[in-house]
Amino acid sequence: MENTPEKSSPACCCSTGNSSEDICGQEDRRGFLAKAVAVVAGTVALAVPAVVGIVAALNPLRQKSQSGLLLRLTSLDALPEDGTPRKFPIIADRTDAWNRFPNEPIGAVYLRRTGAKSVEAVQTVCPHAGCSVQFTAGSGEEDAGGKFFCPCHAASFDLAGKRLDATSPSPRDLDTLEVEIRNETDVWVKFEDFQTGTAKKVAKA
Amino acid sequence: MNALLRWIDDRSGLGEGLRKCSDRPLPGRACWCRVWPCTLAFTFCVQAITGFVMWMYFSPSAQTAWESVYFLQHEVAGGWLLRAIHHYSAQVTLVLIAIYLVQMIVTRSLRAPREMVFWSVVVMGLLCLGLLLTGDLLAWDQNSFASTKVRVNFLNLLPGVGAGLFKLAAGGPAFGHLTLTRFLALHVGLLSSLFLLMLIVRCMLAYRADKAKVAELTEQGGRIGRFWPNQAVINAVACLLVMVVVLLLACQHGLSGDHAGVALGAPADPSVAFDAARPEWAFLGLYEFSHLFPGTMAIVPIFVIPKLLVLFAFVMPFLARSNVGHRLNLGFTAVLLLGLVVLSLYSVSKDKKDEGFQAALATANGQAERVLELVRSPQGIPVSGALTLLRNDPKTQGPVLFTAHCAACHDFADAEGKGILAEKSSAPNLHGFASREWLTGFLNAEKIATPAYFGNTAFKKGKMAGTVKQWWDDAEADDMVDDIREELATVAVALSAGAELKSQAEADEKDAQLIADGKDLITDLYGCTDCHKFHDNGRLGEAPDLTGYGSREWLMAIVANPAHKRFYGDRNDRMPIYAEFPEEPAKNTLSNQELGLIADWLRGEWYEAP
Repeated sequence: MENTPEKSSPACCCSTGNSSEDICGQEDRRGFLAKAVAVVAGTVALAVPAVVGIVAALNPLRQKSQSGLLLRLTSLDALPEDGTPRKFPIIADRTDAWNRFPNEPIGAVYLRRTGAKSVEAVQTVCPHAGCSVQFTAGSGEEDAGGKFFCPCHAASFDLAGKRLDATSPSPRDLDTLEVEIRNETDVWVKFEDFQTGTAKKVAKA
Repeated sequence: MNALLRWIDDRSGLGEGLRKCSDRPLPGRACWCRVWPCTLAFTFCVQAITGFVMWMYFSPSAQTAWESVYFLQHEVAGGWLLRAIHHYSAQVTLVLIAIYLVQMIVTRSLRAPREMVFWSVVVMGLLCLGLLLTGDLLAWDQNSFASTKVRVNFLNLLPGVGAGLFKLAAGGPAFGHLTLTRFLALHVGLLSSLFLLMLIVRCMLAYRADKAKVAELTEQGGRIGRFWPNQAVINAVACLLVMVVVLLLACQHGLSGDHAGVALGAPADPSVAFDAARPEWAFLGLYEFSHLFPGTMAIVPIFVIPKLLVLFAFVMPFLARSNVGHRLNLGFTAVLLLGLVVLSLYSVSKDKKDEGFQAALATANGQAERVLELVRSPQGIPVSGALTLLRNDPKTQGPVLFTAHCAACHDFADAEGKGILAEKSSAPNLHGFASREWLTGFLNAEKIATPAYFGNTAFKKGKMAGTVKQWWDDAEADDMVDDIREELATVAVALSAGAELKSQAEADEKDAQLIADGKDLITDLYGCTDCHKFHDNGRLGEAPDLTGYGSREWLMAIVANPAHKRFYGDRNDRMPIYAEFPEEPAKNTLSNQELGLIADWLRGEWYEAP
C-alpha cells in the first residue's frame, strides 16, 4: 500500500512539481484515478449516514391522519327543529407519536336539521387558515337564521356553509361532512379533516 | 456557470482556501499512518448527521425519553439503523482516538513542535468519553439509568464539593426530568461543540507543524508528499472502511425485527434495584479496577488515578524528547492498555460465571421484551409513560412480588416442580390455585396432607383434612370410591367456577349443568356449608368463605388479611397480614395495586399479544 503514493507523488503536472522528468501522461491518469476514487469513496462513506438520516427524518410523511372516523354523535331529537346548528365535539382515541390518549376531543362539527329526517354537518375548521368558525344567531331580517363567522379574518358563511361575501378570504365554502341517520334517530357522521387554503376540498391523508 | 463559480470564488475566497487545504504538501509521503485525523473528522460528521435526526425525535423527560427512543427504534423507518450507526460510530471514534494517540507515542511524533497536537487529541479523547457517558443516559432504559446513576453518584466521593456537584449534574437531589435536559444539553450542545472545536484546533496546529517540517525537509532535500489526491484517496478509503465497520456492527443482530441495532432495555424504574447494571465497554476496565478499592477509597480509582493519567498524558510530549522518557512513555502506555484490556476481559468472564448476574440479565431481557408487547397492546403508551405499563403488568410483577412476599413459605411450582420454590416450603403450592385440578387434588385424601397442600401447615391435622379423609374412608368401606371421585371432581368444578379463571372460561361455560350439580353437592350431600359460607348458605366464622373462591376479589382479600373472619380468623396459621388497614394504605405492607397484581398473576390474568 505504500506504492501508490510513492509513484504518484509528487504529481508532475501540478504546479509545484519538483521532479519534472516523470512521464506526464501516466501520472495524469494515475492522478485522475486517485481523485476519482477519493471523491467516490468519500461520498459513499458520507452518504450512508446521510441517507439513513434523511429516511428517518422524512418519516412523518408516512404517518396517516386520523380521518374518516364514523361516529354516532347524537340522536335526532337533540337537534332543534328550526334548523339552528348545534356544535358537537368529536371524541375519539388520539395518537400522538408514542402516546395514546383514549377518548379525547379531536375536533368538532356543527349539526343542523334540514328536514324531519335529514341532518347536515359542517366542519368547524375555517377552510381559509384553519381557525374555528362560530355560529352567531341572526339579528336582522337578512340573516334571520344566523350565520357561521370566523373571527380570524372575518369570513362569513350561511348555515349551509356557503360563503356570504363575494370577497371572502376563504377559498371555498365550509366543508360539509357525510351524515347518516341510522335506526330512524341515530345521527352518524363521517368525521374528516381537510387541507386549508385550497379552493378544492381535499381530505388530509 | 463558470462565471458564477468564478464570482463565488472571487468574493468568498473559497477556492483559494480549498486549494490551500488540499494542495498542501505533506512532510513525507502519503501514508495510511496519516488517516486518523480525517477518520475522526468523518465520524464526527456521522455523529452530527445521525445525532441531529435523533434529536428531532428525542423528548427529554422521565416520562417521554424512553418512549421517544422506542418510537425512533421501532416505529420510524430506518430509526433503528440511525440509532445503531450513532451508537457504534461513537465507540469507533474512541478506538480511533486511542489508535492515534498510541501511534503518536510510539513514533515519538508527539515531540516538539507537535506537543499541542498531541494534547488536542487527548482532550478529544476526554470529550469523547464525556459524550459516551452523557449520550448513554438519554435512552433512559434500565441499564443506562442504573449505570449512569452509579457513575454520577461517584461525585459524592469528592470531599466538600461532591454533594453539590451531584446536584448540579443531576439537576436536583435525584435523577429525573432535569437530569435528561442537562445531559441532552451537555451532549448535543457543549461537548459536541467542544469536540468540533478540538478537531479544528488540532487541524490548525498540525498544519502549522507540518508546514515547518516541510520547510525543513525541502532544505534537506527530503521527500515531500501531497495531500491531493495521494493522501486524500487513502483518507477517503479509510473513512469508507470505518463506515463499513460501523455498519457491520450496527447490523450484527439482523436487519429487521425487535433485536436489530442497539438493544433498548425496559424503561428505567428509579424505585427498583437493577442488578444487571454494567458500564459501557470503554469504562469496564476502570469499573473493575475500582473494585480493588473498598469504600470511600473508590475516590482513588475514580478520580485520583484518572486525573494523574491525564496529567501524565500532558507531560508525555516532553518526556519523549529523551530516550529514557520515550521508553517510559512506551512502558506506561503498554501497562495502561494491557491493564484495561485484562481488567475488562476479567470483568466480562466474571459476569459470565456469575449466576446472580445472569439471572438479573435474563430478567432484564424478559422485561425488555415484555414492555414491547405491552406498548403494542391496544392500550398503547399512556401519558404517564411506558413504565406504568410494566408496573401494572401481572406477568412480570407477579413473580417479583410473589418472590418477595409469598415465597418464604409458598411454592409456585408446576407438575415438574419448576417455578418459584419457597425458601422453606411450609404452605400450599399456589400454582394453579383454585383451578379444577388444584381443588380436585385438595379434596383428595391422599393429597390434602402432602406438602403441596396442608402438609406443612397447622391444618395438616385440622378439621378439613380430617373430613376429607373421612369421606374417602367411608367411601372405601362402602366400595364407592369411583362415585366419590366423580362427586368431588364435580364439587371442584363448581367451586372453581367461582374463581372465573381465564384459562377455564370455555370449560365453565360448557359445564353449566355440572356446576349446578356441584353446587348442590356442596350445600347438601357433602355438607360443606356446615362450616363454610357458600353464597346464601352457611355462615362466616368457622372456615374460609367459599363464595367466589379464588376470584380476584377473594384472593386480594385473603392476602390482605387471612385472619379476617371471612377466612381463617384466629385459626390463621402463620400467614402474615399484608393489608390490615384498608383505610390507611400507608400502614400496610402491600398496596391495593400490589394485591391486585399478585391476585392477577396467580390467576394467570394478564395481557398476551395475539
